[in-house]
Amino acid sequence: MIKRVTGAALLAVLAAGSQTLVACGRSDNGEPGGKELRVWHYEAPESGMGVAWNEAIKEFEATHPGVKVKLELKGFEQIQKTAPMIVNSNSAPDVMEYNKGNATAGLLSKQGLLEEITPEVKKRGWDKLLSPSVQVVAKYDDKGIMGGDKWYGVPTYAEYLQVYYNKDLFKKHDVQVPTTFDEFTKVLDAFVAKGITPLANGGAEYMAQQYVYQLALDKADEPWVNAFQRYTGKTDFTDPAWTYAATTFADWVTKGYIAKSSVSTKGEDAGVAFMSGKFPMMFSGNWWFGRVAKEAKFDWDTFVWPGAKMTLGSGGNLWVVPKGSKNKQLAYDFIDITLQKKIQNILGNAGGVPVAADSSAITEPRAKKLVDGFNTFAQSNGLAYYPDWPAPGFYDQWVSQTQKLMNGDSPQSVLSGLQKTYDSGLPK
Amino acid sequence: MTTGSSTGRHRLAYLPYLIPGLLLFTGVIGVPFLMNTGTSFTEWAGVGTPTWVGLDNYRELATDGEFWASFRHNALVIVGMAILPTMIGLVLASVLTDLIDRHFGPRAASALRACIYLPQVLPIVIAGIVWSWLLAPENGAVNVLLGAIGLGSLAHDWLGDPATALWSVMGVMVWIQIGFPLVIFMSGLQRVDPSLYEAAEIDGASWAQRFWYVTIPQIRPEIFVVLLWTTIAALKAFPHIFVLTRGGPGGATNVPSYYSYVHFFEKTDVGYGSAIATVLTLTVIALTIVFLRLQGRELGEER
Repeated sequence: MIKRVTGAALLAVLAAGSQTLVACGRSDNGEPGGKELRVWHYEAPESGMGVAWNEAIKEFEATHPGVKVKLELKGFEQIQKTAPMIVNSNSAPDVMEYNKGNATAGLLSKQGLLEEITPEVKKRGWDKLLSPSVQVVAKYDDKGIMGGDKWYGVPTYAEYLQVYYNKDLFKKHDVQVPTTFDEFTKVLDAFVAKGITPLANGGAEYMAQQYVYQLALDKADEPWVNAFQRYTGKTDFTDPAWTYAATTFADWVTKGYIAKSSVSTKGEDAGVAFMSGKFPMMFSGNWWFGRVAKEAKFDWDTFVWPGAKMTLGSGGNLWVVPKGSKNKQLAYDFIDITLQKKIQNILGNAGGVPVAADSSAITEPRAKKLVDGFNTFAQSNGLAYYPDWPAPGFYDQWVSQTQKLMNGDSPQSVLSGLQKTYDSGLPK
Repeated sequence: MTTGSSTGRHRLAYLPYLIPGLLLFTGVIGVPFLMNTGTSFTEWAGVGTPTWVGLDNYRELATDGEFWASFRHNALVIVGMAILPTMIGLVLASVLTDLIDRHFGPRAASALRACIYLPQVLPIVIAGIVWSWLLAPENGAVNVLLGAIGLGSLAHDWLGDPATALWSVMGVMVWIQIGFPLVIFMSGLQRVDPSLYEAAEIDGASWAQRFWYVTIPQIRPEIFVVLLWTTIAALKAFPHIFVLTRGGPGGATNVPSYYSYVHFFEKTDVGYGSAIATVLTLTVIALTIVFLRLQGRELGEER
């Protein structure tokens, strides 16, 4: 019964929980005289960001004698689901990693729960460090739509998708790295002919939708992306790009490029299957980079989606300063340190995509290739964000609709389902 | 007169003892439920000021195909979490009490009961994760086992095919749930006079006849309690769905509690999520009243 009362009950319990946190925070803080900087983020300690930010914490404490950083590691979903309540309470941290996009950072900025940091950005020159396409996710307008004129956060890393490939399997089956889409299709055919499913996929999570979006991007241009992501024009899911994407993806499942049995596979399982050598290729983000480097027992490398002028990617999640932060100046100092070249270079060499690194200081060859690939897309405005961003709850809808597509529903009905959710999520 | 007033006082003497429970009920269930109902008449993103929209959310619910589909799925979840476990639990309890206990001793019956109860001890999330591995399309134990015994053609993406996803989830639910009715029924059978079974046996009743004419009528109150409890649990089923399928594939295993969660936390459409939660709560309350009435009538007839 208690569970079923849900909603308000859950919110009330969480709110009560945050009040408890407030009490704890106060007693921990002792006096609010800037003796402690409370930082929350959700990056794994061994990831590029985790490694770099740990270094930044050391640097911060060295340059701010008497101030201690209190780091709390959270889960991605934990922050995604509870941020509005946390930020709206007195227990808000001083600086927090928060998800970029209209439904998350945009929503909180619109509600006035995040500090607008435009003056600080200008004063410290962060706007000069970040390329315009990386800045898009940090700036929001009055309606909370990204790409606006006010800064509400700062990304210190970036991300984009590429094809990870198993060099050993390519060599064994005498297959070359494709450079055009036609060559890519021939590679896919070659593996299928050998009885191997070429592409790892997880239909129960983000992977399937990212294939579909990339296929759409192959036929799209920048205004199309802006219309879809930033509502600068009408998005029609029956247009040639979306139709091509859904039809081609369904065709790929039929042809065996993507396993039909991957409908219920989660992203994690698909990645693990690639790293175990089961699939020759996996199209996914650089968040896999560190793990593949550590866990794959075969020779591997990456290439960008053949022929792509645009791909999925963006500035990374943001450092935001909640309105209720008690140590805002310290928070800005900390963000500043994470953007320094030294920290950015550490991030790059540890497999992250830095936004302000000295590219000559990235010495690990695959990491260098990763960063160079990103810079190419960033400089040509080729970062097209992610398909689930434009509407709240769109992620689940994408999962649901791509599962239907893999299970044989018509591309038209799938696209019509997406259109419905997209339209209902448009800002009013 | 004096007697009446003292009886009245005597009757009211228990009231102070109800206060802690009433306070707890008001704070933990009553107030949040009213707040939730209030929120269901608003459009609200979870932060900021809610906008009053009257019955709009309920009107939308009435025509929301996904919502009604989620309720239909819930009917099957009731089969998986309440009806089948109750039936299987009844048979098992009878077998363990009437056959195993009598022929192999109470220790054997207790050991078997503990084994069947074990899934109830496991957190549902852990059980769900383990089952998602067992049912995995590639290298999942179920498919590997089918291959090993020559039935590889039956190997399947159990949770990924809309035709089998809900049935697979129901299978997991039955496995998790059986232990609960079993222990309740076995303890119920402890109070049944053994002479009833002996008399039936002397009269030449088979095991099936003893089960039907002695066991079931004797533990009818327990059956009511188990059915009520498990049906409410089935209506609230959330972790099974969250861990195993997240409502997929393509909404094939969506249930109202998960659908409500999606609106609360994924779509940040708290007003609509509250409307779903309110409808579900009222359904649970209505069902509980029906069950209790039926049980009361049943017991009344017996008296």
